Amino acid sequence: MSRKHPSKVSRSPSAPPPAGHPRAAGGGTGGPPSGPGFWRRNRREITFLALFLVLLGGSFTLISLNWINDHVIEPFTAGIARLSGAVLNLLGQHVALRGTVIQGPHFAVNIRNGCNGVEAMLIFLSAVLAFPASWRSRLTGLALGTLAIQAINLVRVVSLYLTGAYLPRFFDASHTVIWQSVVILCGVLLWVFWANRLPPRDEPAT
Amino acid sequence: MPGKRQTAPPPPPPPRRWTALLIRNTLLWLVPVAVAWWLATPIYNRVLLRSAAGILDLCEHPAVTDLPAKGDHDAYVVRRDFPPAHSLVYPFRVSDVHFHLLLLGALFLAVPGIPWRERLGNLAVAVLITFAYDVLLVVFIVESTYATHLGAWSLAHYGAFARNFYGLGKHLLDLPFKLALPLVLWCAFYLPRLRAASPPAAPEKA
Repeated sequence: MSRKHPSKVSRSPSAPPPAGHPRAAGGGTGGPPSGPGFWRRNRREITFLALFLVLLGGSFTLISLNWINDHVIEPFTAGIARLSGAVLNLLGQHVALRGTVIQGPHFAVNIRNGCNGVEAMLIFLSAVLAFPASWRSRLTGLALGTLAIQAINLVRVVSLYLTGAYLPRFFDASHTVIWQSVVILCGVLLWVFWANRLPPRDEPAT
Repeated sequence: MPGKRQTAPPPPPPPRRWTALLIRNTLLWLVPVAVAWWLATPIYNRVLLRSAAGILDLCEHPAVTDLPAKGDHDAYVVRRDFPPAHSLVYPFRVSDVHFHLLLLGALFLAVPGIPWRERLGNLAVAVLITFAYDVLLVVFIVESTYATHLGAWSLAHYGAFARNFYGLGKHLLDLPFKLALPLVLWCAFYLPRLRAASPPAAPEKA
């Protein structure tokens, strides 16, 4: 048999194949998922996806526990509300805070799970931890990615308050579809950016 | 060579450029995909509700659940065996079930350096998988409503395990796995290309 291992070809430091090239892509992406070498060819991808799903399910199960929700998520969400309220006051909105509720003269929002950026952070965290990389790269990626996601989420909360106050008929679509998609997409693209800056490794780091 | 007819496809972009193009294309595709999703949503909702109602019919003995649409974006969970005044047990927004199609479409259409035929083929497979996922999510929305939202009736008809199973299942399917599904599917098709676009590993020191 003279079949070469695609991953060895794509990792050659002396002559790396161009991105997007079928050879570089480990034998193409559209082929049928069968054959004796399927596992060997796709071992790293399957391992990453399985680990990602396990970490994702585990982390979301963890934050659904009442104790974690009451002692970690709620205080974190209240912190986001305080920061968002401060930004809104800087913008001249004259809002007051009650826990996770931002109350203005014309409109109020309650920041709940789903609006605190924790979902996007956990998706990003699971993808970073599941991807084969050194712990140093992972920790750097997690710190910068978390900050970036929370910065985007801050823009989301402030803009949702302003949408509710001044363009209320757009609030529902903006709340559930647009901003949810934008925040998750930012998490995904941050991960792509981070993963692209790493030299390939064989196995997930432990 | 001047004058020589070029038959080979254009060379794929260099590695770093590939990722930059991916991120730029994803952001550019987001608006057209959102428009297409918005236009297709009423049809998708009806197909989704019909498919989920069909699955529920197969699982129930006797079949008692209806999922009538309310307008283009909403639906009701209706039980035919309840008194008419109480048969409408839960309203939900169907369009919120499948807005992850926005991320999926943008991510799959944005991949640079591959033929359109392959790109659209991969997107079609991913949309089919997402549709199956959405049907499962609607089934879990209905079952978790029965198991946890109907007070004494839920307690009488669902045990502790079933209530936790459907409650946690709906939570996981409706938040983390729904939001992460586009990334998972994208990685299943294109992770090898992303890895190939990474910088080559540094040579080991002697």
